[in-house]
Amino acid sequence: MLLDAQNVAKAFGSFWAVAGADLQVEEGEIIGLIGPNGAGKSTFFNCLAGDTLPTGGRILFNGVDLTRASPDAHARAGIGRTFQVPATFEDMSVIDNVTVGAFLRHPHRNDAREHARRIVEMTGLRPDQPGRSLGTPGRKRLGIARVLATEPRLLLLDESLAGLTPTELRDAIALVRRIHESGVTIVIVEHIMEVIMTLTRRVLVFNQGRVISSGTPEAVVKDEAVIEAYLGRGARRPPRIPPPHAGEG
Amino acid sequence: MKKFLSPRVGVCLLGAALLLFPMVFSSPFYRDIGVAFLLAAISASAWNIVGGYAGQVSVGHSMFFGLGAYTPLLFYTLWGWSPLAGIPAGILLSVALAVVIGLPTFRLSGHYFSMATIAVAELIRIFFGTWTLVGGAIGLQGPAVARGWWDLTFRGDLPYYYVFLAVLGLVLFVTYEVGRRRFGFYLRAIKASERAARSLGVPVRLTKLKALALSAAFSSAAGSLYAVKTGFIDPDSAFGILVSVQMVIVAALGGAGTLFGPLLGALILVPLQTAANTWFGGGGSGLTFIIYGGIIVLIARFEPGGLFDLWHRLAPRLRRRAHAA
Amino acid sequence: MVVLQVIVGGILLGAIYALFSSGLTLIWGMMNFINFAHGEFVMLSMYVALLVVLYLGGGPVGFGAAAALALFVLGVAIYLALIRHVVRGPMLSQILSTFGLALLLRYTAFFIFSANFVSLPQTSLAGTLNIGGIFLPVAQLVAGAVAITLTIALHLLLTRTTIGSRLLAVAEDRSAAMLMGIRPDRMQALAWGLSAGAAGIAGALLATAYPWSPSVGETFGLIAFVTVALGGFGSVLGSLYAGLIIGLIQAVSAFWLGAIYKDIVVYGLFVALLWLRPQGLMGKA
Repeated sequence: MLLDAQNVAKAFGSFWAVAGADLQVEEGEIIGLIGPNGAGKSTFFNCLAGDTLPTGGRILFNGVDLTRASPDAHARAGIGRTFQVPATFEDMSVIDNVTVGAFLRHPHRNDAREHARRIVEMTGLRPDQPGRSLGTPGRKRLGIARVLATEPRLLLLDESLAGLTPTELRDAIALVRRIHESGVTIVIVEHIMEVIMTLTRRVLVFNQGRVISSGTPEAVVKDEAVIEAYLGRGARRPPRIPPPHAGEG
Repeated sequence: MKKFLSPRVGVCLLGAALLLFPMVFSSPFYRDIGVAFLLAAISASAWNIVGGYAGQVSVGHSMFFGLGAYTPLLFYTLWGWSPLAGIPAGILLSVALAVVIGLPTFRLSGHYFSMATIAVAELIRIFFGTWTLVGGAIGLQGPAVARGWWDLTFRGDLPYYYVFLAVLGLVLFVTYEVGRRRFGFYLRAIKASERAARSLGVPVRLTKLKALALSAAFSSAAGSLYAVKTGFIDPDSAFGILVSVQMVIVAALGGAGTLFGPLLGALILVPLQTAANTWFGGGGSGLTFIIYGGIIVLIARFEPGGLFDLWHRLAPRLRRRAHAA
Repeated sequence: MVVLQVIVGGILLGAIYALFSSGLTLIWGMMNFINFAHGEFVMLSMYVALLVVLYLGGGPVGFGAAAALALFVLGVAIYLALIRHVVRGPMLSQILSTFGLALLLRYTAFFIFSANFVSLPQTSLAGTLNIGGIFLPVAQLVAGAVAITLTIALHLLLTRTTIGSRLLAVAEDRSAAMLMGIRPDRMQALAWGLSAGAAGIAGALLATAYPWSPSVGETFGLIAFVTVALGGFGSVLGSLYAGLIIGLIQAVSAFWLGAIYKDIVVYGLFVALLWLRPQGLMGKA
């Protein structure tokens, strides 16, 4: 098992953003994480990546306990992540941005640059473009390229495909698929159902800090608990239409 | 007609100009300015490593400068040793101080670090003012008459000029090399976004510490050079806020985070300050601070990247207009 | 007896430290921003008080109100002209903006007022009281009492009033506050006004009881840092406790070790705090 997250919990004061979530990921899988806003997905992700210190639970990666490890230790261990709002290194060019990531496994400048160049080509970005001149889709792609350069075994994609045009989305999905085929295990948080349905084989549904359902995308979408989570109680039955002249308007 | 000046040629020209300057302008007045320029450039370049490249804004860098200034004169005063012996000691002390300050503050947000630098610089200044061993408020003096070249007490500015120039060359070379390697990339990443840097495996705290230590070492060397040239040091000239402010403003005006920004800043500010001193006399120092304060606020508000950044933004526009004309 | 006098004197001064430090901590809590010119705000208001007394005449209430108002306006103006443009920018901008401002204010004051120490001419608060064998200048007593009252009032303003909860909402979550119809820009301008105003009143109080020169801005600024660090960044109540403690420590250090060492102890405490407990007594790091 590549990633074994057991009973992860995170409290902010008295509010439990994550209240006991489990996630087991085998190497080579591609898993989706969905749920309504505020369900705790991002916080859970942050715990997995080391950005947030869990209040409880254990996170084992490749057998190593990373529960309390720093984000850079997570990266060194082989967990990479993207951010919902990409934090591009504005004053650096695309190739320099990616080179920062490449330095993790290639301490020497020329090796790192070579590696970065290959990644930049693969993601279709222009190497010498300044970071700050990129639009949002470019920044998201750069975020993916950057973390790819660290050669992660597990890649956590945090809503990296939001805000794209249909064409861009298709390209992005193709990119993620290529990354998966190159041997990287992926966990993807997404709201866009097309992404989840086409890319993932297994989906976990989050609500109120817990995993309320898991299974194939098709099964999960039909799960009553999931529908209720998204649409609220009472959504199981079709809404009652009151008869005309039922009372004051 | 567009003239193309490659950076390499530019650097060579600059180097040649600096080498020849005291020969061409050989009056004591000009050589004095030259030495002051070099010292300002060295100090600001030292600050630049941690303040410009890594983005950790120290406003108390005089603490490193001052330690480097005191140790050579202290070694001389206490044991009659050559000031040269005190220079490595100053560097070691400064690096140790850098670690002491950096360890707790670098795990917190940037403001803590900045506050700490002011407080510690002030703390040391007051402390040295009361400590009789280092001369208290009066300070220390160096050898009045040289016992040999190792006393670094030269008559005339020329030897100092070339020693300082060599040190400046060293700082710039180290900064340039750092910039090309992993360390430099990591510094720039930290400055841009610590969070993103961490996610890519950058050991943020350790990298900041290294930058501060390197910066402290060079600042200390600058202080040593100053003490050796002036032959005298006291708490205010060593640890005073003017020293810290000057390092910051020289770097920031030219362009913090660029290799030659501090040089450019020094090129502008040192002659200006000399002119101000000549015109306004002693009372000029109060006015100097007012102007410095104003410049710093303007840089912060309008052009944090300094003049180099301004040039990069305007140059394409100027070039376009030259083409159209 | 002398010791008791030193202690009480220290606590009274500490109350004023608490007042101006609460202004600094308010800004930190709101915007994660440190105003390096805060000490200069206090120093300026002392001169405002002096000018009001010299040219307009008037008692403590008069020049107190004038100083508070003048500094309030200054705080808002500085926010609008400078702070709101740099707060989202690089760290260099943020730090240098108020640091440069501090230099500007401090040395302009030196230029205009010279480095000589001054004090207010005799006010209605002259004289000394003898309380159980301790001799306390009336001015210090009143200043301390007013300072404690106002600091608590600021705390209550923030925690018990609508405007206070709006300020805190912006501090907590800017976007959410916007969704609730609160305008973050206005709230932050108000916060800067309040912060400077607190410094202003503190300065007026200090002026009634202690002499000063433009150099005190730097000292007060550092004391504000220490107080905020001890009390916890963001906590006004923390500033209150911390201010009193710092005043006490300073007075006792001066008494035991000599006047020169009192600042060393306080700044040393700051460094120790950063090492050991950056979140202070009551705040968030």
